[in-house]
Amino acid sequence: MSDNERDGDDVRDGAETRTDGGGTAGSTERAGSEGARRSSNGFVGDFWVNFVRWNIKAVRNPFVVVGSLLQPVIFLVLFTQVFGQIATGAISRGGGAGISYETFLLPAIAMQVSLAAGAGSGIGLVNDMEEGMFEKVLVTPMSRTAVFLGKTAAELLRIVVQIVIILGMGTLLGANIATGIPGAIGIVVMGILFSLWFVALSNIAAVVTRDQESTIIGANLLQFPLLFVSTAFLPLEFLPGWIQTIATFNPVTYGVDGARALMLDQDVMTVVEVTQFGGIWNTLVPAVAVLLALDIVLGGVMVYLLNRASSSSVR
Amino acid sequence: MGDTESRGAAIDADGVELTYSDGTEAVRGIDLEVPEGEFFGFLGPNGAGKTTTIKTFTTLLSPTGGTISVNGYDVVSEAQQVRESIGYMAQETSVDLELTARENVRFAAQAYGVPREHRADRIDELLDLVDLADVADKRADEFSGGMKKRLDVATALVHDPPLVFLDEPTTGLDPKARNRLWDYFERINEQGTTLFLTTQYLEEADALCDRLAVILDGEIVAEGSPMELKRRVGGEILDVDLDDPDERERAAEIAREAGVFDSDADVTVSDDGISVTAERAREHGTDLLVALRDADVTVTGFNIRAPTLDDVFLSITGEKPDLDGDDGDDVTETTTEVRAE
Repeated sequence: MSDNERDGDDVRDGAETRTDGGGTAGSTERAGSEGARRSSNGFVGDFWVNFVRWNIKAVRNPFVVVGSLLQPVIFLVLFTQVFGQIATGAISRGGGAGISYETFLLPAIAMQVSLAAGAGSGIGLVNDMEEGMFEKVLVTPMSRTAVFLGKTAAELLRIVVQIVIILGMGTLLGANIATGIPGAIGIVVMGILFSLWFVALSNIAAVVTRDQESTIIGANLLQFPLLFVSTAFLPLEFLPGWIQTIATFNPVTYGVDGARALMLDQDVMTVVEVTQFGGIWNTLVPAVAVLLALDIVLGGVMVYLLNRASSSSVR
Repeated sequence: MGDTESRGAAIDADGVELTYSDGTEAVRGIDLEVPEGEFFGFLGPNGAGKTTTIKTFTTLLSPTGGTISVNGYDVVSEAQQVRESIGYMAQETSVDLELTARENVRFAAQAYGVPREHRADRIDELLDLVDLADVADKRADEFSGGMKKRLDVATALVHDPPLVFLDEPTTGLDPKARNRLWDYFERINEQGTTLFLTTQYLEEADALCDRLAVILDGEIVAEGSPMELKRRVGGEILDVDLDDPDERERAAEIAREAGVFDSDADVTVSDDGISVTAERAREHGTDLLVALRDADVTVTGFNIRAPTLDDVFLSITGEKPDLDGDDGDDVTETTTEVRAE
């Protein structure tokens, strides 16, 4: 632009005219005439917008829906085929006569699904940070709580769908849910309760590392040891002493035992002996209590860290 | 430079400081007033504090000192009202790659509460503006860098905010896309929208902005209309092109010593030859050419011109603008662009 004179003068004239009609009157007029101005969505609206966004993303990304189901399905098929005979024998010697390994393993696989989906939550968050979407959302007037709840609700919906798929497949492979449909719903609820602490943990990893690779590695590396040093694959009494000790403090044990109690219609928890509730409630009550406590504690840490990450104070 | 404070100020920043917890002073006492309806340009070399300043204005960072009022609201105590009344486009392109162009714009429209009855039309209008209407239902991860950038612009404008912050909105765009956005920025500015723009292209700032501020090391070092800033450089500029790099220093020496210009003339060696900034450079230019010919320096071209913002920028910051801007952009856009046939 070499004809600067013209520019400068025009602009100054323009500025005068503008400010004559300007101020608040001008703004309100614009708001009325253009009609595209914001009006608050409210909490529910903000929640819904984010819920929809994360559901679209989940459906778009084949890895999220199919990929995260693949590993549990492989476990379900291979474990039952390879270890089925030995394991079924071991279980019946341990007092679980008539229980097939398919039936024994299925609730553990359902919890594995929850664990994998929980890991995905933090990965989604860190991905948003890397794409700049996290900051973009922070500049909008949306409620931060609604933003986060919308995302988490989409993840929980995915867990529900995946557990239903896994339970269906397991039933086809010969597993039997002794408590029927209500028990199956109970297992889904257990899966949600069980996933929340890991959702929190993966989000904590995301906020702390702010790095996709670290979050993926951290969340995935944790999954397998956690599964193996629990009651997921074999009853507690068949595990070596040191694993029994760790299993007592491993959240996976409580999720798996809770789901398994519903699956078998039996009190299966042996890490903690509770007797005053009767029947499967001797497993369900302590399992739910432990998981709830864990969800609240880790969830609290996560909310604190997320608040800090999204606050504008300089760190 | 704001002449009256009674008039509505879109931005009123007073003594803004931002010191990171590691002690880095990114912003060191900025005073700035942008009246409603102004097209304001914020310039400075990379790392001078442009983006940090914008982040304090848009509630992403709380200033560690000073106060900022945006559209009449305090950015710290009334952050929510500030967020409702601005649009913001970050320097790093921020789009959801798993969503389509339309879904990205729709998400922004919903996030800012654009009323349902206007939403579809508004989304179409913005997609058309940024020339993505024919790929509206393709996912953003198939887009080139330039297309993502244009999509990002659309999401910052969809709710028609009275004040828009644009952090390098046209970097990496081809000239056609850039001109289209310029037209739109001017149009919404004429309708009363205040724009706060940073750019690497000084001709962009010159063409669009009513007023500019230059930030250097976290402080504002110059402020005024493009004209005023250019006047500060003073005089005229004589560029002499010299093909032989070895002769440039010698030519500069001759220009300084030959006594053809006033003593306050400024002679610099450029990439193409030498530049002389002086009063009456036009009158004395031929004398310099004669002196150079007498000294057997081969002149391949020359030009006398008024100062541009580039000269302003160079004289203020000691750095050339556009170091990573102008050259690569056309390539980015045209070589990788995905188009719906």
